Amino acid sequence: MMRPQNRGNSQPRWLFPFVVTVIFCLSVLPLGRLAATGIMSAFRGGASELLSDPGLWRSVYDTLSTSFFGMIAAVVLGGGFALLLTLFDIRGKALLGFLFMLPTMIPPQVTALAWIGMTGPSSALLKAIGLAPPLGSPQPLYSIGGIALLYGAQNAALVYLSLRAGLLALPRDAVEAARLSGASSFQVLKDVILPLSLPGLAAGAAIAFVSCVGNFGIPAILGIPAGIYTLPTLIYSKFAAFGPRTFADISVLSGLIAILSVIGLMVEARVLRGRDYRVIGLSGQVAVFRLGAWRWLAELLLWLTIFLILAMPLIALVASSLAPAYGVPLSPATVTIKAYEEILFRQAATRIAFTNSLSLSLATAFGLLVVTVLTGYFLVRSKSRFVGLISALAEIPYALPGIVLAVAFILLFAAPIPVISISIYGTIWIILIAYFSSFFAVSLKPVVSAFRQLDPSLEEAARLSGAGFARRLADIVVPLVAPAAGASVILVFLIACNELTVSALLWSAGTQTLGVLIYNLDDSGSFNIAAALSVLVVIMVIAMMVVLELMAKRLPKGVVPWRS
Amino acid sequence: MKNLLSAFTALVAFGMIAGTAEAADLVLYTSQPNEDAQATVDGFKAANPGLDVQWVRDGTPQIMAKLNAEIQAGNPAADVLLIADTVTLERMKQAGQLMAYKSPEAANYDKALYDADGFYYSTKLITTGIVYNTQAAMKPTSWADLAKPEAKGLVTMPSPLASGAALIHAQTLSGVPGLGWDYYKNLKANGAMAAGGNGAILKSVASGEKAYGFVVDYLPIREKAKGAPVEFVFPKEGVSAVTEPAAILASTKHAENARKFIDYVLSQKGQEGFLKLGYIPARNGMAVPAGFPARETIKVLPINPAEALKNSEKDVKGFADIFGIKG
Amino acid sequence: MAKLILNRLSKTFDLGGRAAVNDVSLTVREGGFLALLGPSGCGKTTVLRMIAGFEQPSDGSILLGERVLADASEMVAPEHRNMAMVFQSYALWPHMSVAENVGYPLKVRGISGEKRDRKVREALAAVHLETYADRRPADLSGGQRQRVALARCLVTEPDVVLLDEPLANLDRHLRQEMEETFREFHARSGATMIYVTHDQAEAMALATDVAVMSEGKLLQVATPEEIYARPEGRLVGGLVGQGAILSLPSPFGDRRLFDWPAMQDILAGPAQEARADILVRPQDVEIAAEGQVATVLSVLFEGERYALRLALPDGQALRAFSRQPVKVGDRLSIVIRAAWRL
Repeated sequence: MMRPQNRGNSQPRWLFPFVVTVIFCLSVLPLGRLAATGIMSAFRGGASELLSDPGLWRSVYDTLSTSFFGMIAAVVLGGGFALLLTLFDIRGKALLGFLFMLPTMIPPQVTALAWIGMTGPSSALLKAIGLAPPLGSPQPLYSIGGIALLYGAQNAALVYLSLRAGLLALPRDAVEAARLSGASSFQVLKDVILPLSLPGLAAGAAIAFVSCVGNFGIPAILGIPAGIYTLPTLIYSKFAAFGPRTFADISVLSGLIAILSVIGLMVEARVLRGRDYRVIGLSGQVAVFRLGAWRWLAELLLWLTIFLILAMPLIALVASSLAPAYGVPLSPATVTIKAYEEILFRQAATRIAFTNSLSLSLATAFGLLVVTVLTGYFLVRSKSRFVGLISALAEIPYALPGIVLAVAFILLFAAPIPVISISIYGTIWIILIAYFSSFFAVSLKPVVSAFRQLDPSLEEAARLSGAGFARRLADIVVPLVAPAAGASVILVFLIACNELTVSALLWSAGTQTLGVLIYNLDDSGSFNIAAALSVLVVIMVIAMMVVLELMAKRLPKGVVPWRS
Repeated sequence: MKNLLSAFTALVAFGMIAGTAEAADLVLYTSQPNEDAQATVDGFKAANPGLDVQWVRDGTPQIMAKLNAEIQAGNPAADVLLIADTVTLERMKQAGQLMAYKSPEAANYDKALYDADGFYYSTKLITTGIVYNTQAAMKPTSWADLAKPEAKGLVTMPSPLASGAALIHAQTLSGVPGLGWDYYKNLKANGAMAAGGNGAILKSVASGEKAYGFVVDYLPIREKAKGAPVEFVFPKEGVSAVTEPAAILASTKHAENARKFIDYVLSQKGQEGFLKLGYIPARNGMAVPAGFPARETIKVLPINPAEALKNSEKDVKGFADIFGIKG
Repeated sequence: MAKLILNRLSKTFDLGGRAAVNDVSLTVREGGFLALLGPSGCGKTTVLRMIAGFEQPSDGSILLGERVLADASEMVAPEHRNMAMVFQSYALWPHMSVAENVGYPLKVRGISGEKRDRKVREALAAVHLETYADRRPADLSGGQRQRVALARCLVTEPDVVLLDEPLANLDRHLRQEMEETFREFHARSGATMIYVTHDQAEAMALATDVAVMSEGKLLQVATPEEIYARPEGRLVGGLVGQGAILSLPSPFGDRRLFDWPAMQDILAGPAQEARADILVRPQDVEIAAEGQVATVLSVLFEGERYALRLALPDGQALRAFSRQPVKVGDRLSIVIRAAWRL
């Protein structure tokens, strides 16, 4: 029995059904369909054989260890950057923050290929300094550590953005109060700033962990050659060897991934328990500490990190795109732009892929924002006992590898939708819906954080001013969560733009995305063309970021996440 | 809020215009590389003006996963398939998922190259041989060379879990006296690795991570022409071969166009198109592409498709057990 | 406008939990200024939030004149109540200027142009902030922010204005200034005002009526003078004024106000089982010859006088004022001019 809803709360009556419908369509329906197929097939085959396979548990272990160390790497990199750039008097903050965002935008499989090109026996860099390992040397990145390192580089910006949003919301008087209490800079950091920014850090770490668990591109390229299988690559392998039990097996494996991500999120919830720090009223300017003599060292460290995680892999990528064929040493004599000519002027698929990826990403980012502002509002304001369940259901699709979600949506939509009998399979709509489902959690997190920090009386004052729900949302709530909403849009856009695993199974003629095209070109052996397209994607992303940067003055403060 | 909503609507409309493909006259699922797939479709459209063809390209296991999921859901989108090997199609034939069609062009083909009932037709010959990095000390001439100490830790090969050709290759070599599954065990003992598809093998050898690899012929021959430091060898024991067959799905809604497609890929014109792309055509009396030895000199090792089909799950497992691959 | 009636109002947050507000009935007359006084956690803020419409009553009802605002099954949303509120945290919208903050309720009501500008100007003039119209709330001091919040209430001529501990975050000087502003505001607008506070001096100074609450229950409602002079029960007596409560042998009869002879009788009376709580205010304790002996426990210089704490021979403490300096430990003779039986 539900208690009659308290009409004193600020939610309109349609909000709860709306949120339930959204969660049902984006999470329960596709996953339920997959689970139904799994359970039905499992009755015929039986999952016990799969679960008693020691190889499976080895994969679980490898998934956990790579994701855990990847999360640690992301927290160290992203947390370090967020603290140094937000709280200290580092020079060139804007540029550093800008560059630090870039590795996240590079598709994981491109990152992995670039790093391999940087460290392997054919590395132009190592050859130049005479340190290239001999022919046939093992690739150091083909290891748990290598995978974790790339996870860290890939997801560091997620921690950075989340922690930074938390730090920017800290009121300066809280810091000043602590300093006047006699605390040194270090003590202020330890006793005031870190505890108050813990929700942001924990949220970022949880996103990073969940993202590592679901990552496919990196372990596929670094793990499979070394016999390291994470659950997503195991699913992929099972898929490649498809047999009568494939669907049963991958449903079971998806269940395992779901359990892992729920555990990760529970740990986050535990860390956050009792830490509902609402920053009351106005949050002022951020405090800035002086580093003094340590400043040049911190700056050197930051730039060195940028060089290692961004500049070197990108140089390797550009080198691959300019080589006539893979393995040809790059020199003024061999350099060619044939790959670019091919991609720009011969392949019609490039234009289609750019259009598709851009429109899909924009539609996903802004469409999701409308949904997540309402859902986030519900999750924070409602005292319904379903809140926990709903946030868990929102997280699961993002935690699942794209390949599982893709299969779920194929099963759901391959047959025409009942009643209206329209088939969206093979159209761009199925990818859009899968993106909505997959990136819901990405979009939701920053918005929920912002709502948590919003003083409820700001909205109550608007209610007494006579403003109805839509009016309050437009005039008060949305402007106040705008920085977080902006961060949410950018995050979703960037991730969707470089997404591979969901669209890899859902694309069809005319609906290729950039991730699919790059992977497809690489897969079919056209390495230099794939590299050239990757370079174009990176240029496009940088260009868009520069446009945002130029617009930043006219946007609400905090919308452009790497800006102070 | 209003601005947000209108922006969203505009974007969705934009996405719809950009992305929606209208119902095509024929949908092809193929494992050919992008440029080759586009060239094949362009050739077919030139021969059959006015037909709108959509094609979807992915590796054979991936495209089969896609198709399998669609079949399970009861609505496969594809009309015709053009994928790596006949074994997969034999399985589909037995599952009743293919449509028979007796193409008049079959007369120009060896009987071993198509299904007697007309369920699938081979279109070309793709052999698997050895690729080596030109910096490698030893120049291999036989499969056996790769089990020698000179090749220790330097050999890589595609996984049957990612490549249709790789499974056929393993099944072929396992039946050759003097090689067999023991050969694979020796390779493993010699530090050989098995992972990914043919593209990954070529990259690994061209980059110098590995010195030797098993690979399909056209990749290294094409890349060598572009200057890559690789060389392709037809080992003296012989090569395995897949035949990239085409077939019509039983569920097709465009049976007439699908038959036209089968006829086209088997026709003189279609086969010349494959030749131009660097493949050995399956049709009788055709030349071989540049960089290939004369067709008669290529020794293709025999394989029994029915046996191969019967044993495929066992063989994949056997291979996976030797090399410690999951799946 | 009409009177605001709370009828047997109760609120329970958790099923089966303790009632935050328990059976509160109260009528605020039209144009009245009611202070809800009580220690923190007594339920006064919950009452306020139910009046505003942020919480729905678990039982009972709220009426504005004939109109039922809320009961356990139905309620009018806050946005349709024509009320206004000043929050403890001011709740100014940081992304709007002062004028935009003040003008927002008008904007929502569809009033625009010259009319809105004029009303905003008037409201800002009333709180002496005309020159701050274009500033952001972040650039204002605490008192200025509070005045902006007040101007925002003024602008729509609401039926009821709610104030939730509005002075809690202000310094003493500003409090006095703001108390003056609130009184002015009440006189000017004629709105019914409900003011939540834990500070009895604030309540006395501002309100036309004071309601004292404790642990979810309403203890007494009366004018400040009445509450001060005739408090009901130990809790109210302890909360209002600085009086000391003595536990003395119960006097006979139902007399409640005692003069010195009566007090002498009581103090000298025989020790007995039945005892009564007697409230003695410091201004009624006079240092005079031939009175009760008391020992000085502490002395505090307040400028115009000394505030003393005295101990009676049986150890009970009493407060008194003295114009002359005294020392701790001095024995004084006192006369209690008036005392009130609680």
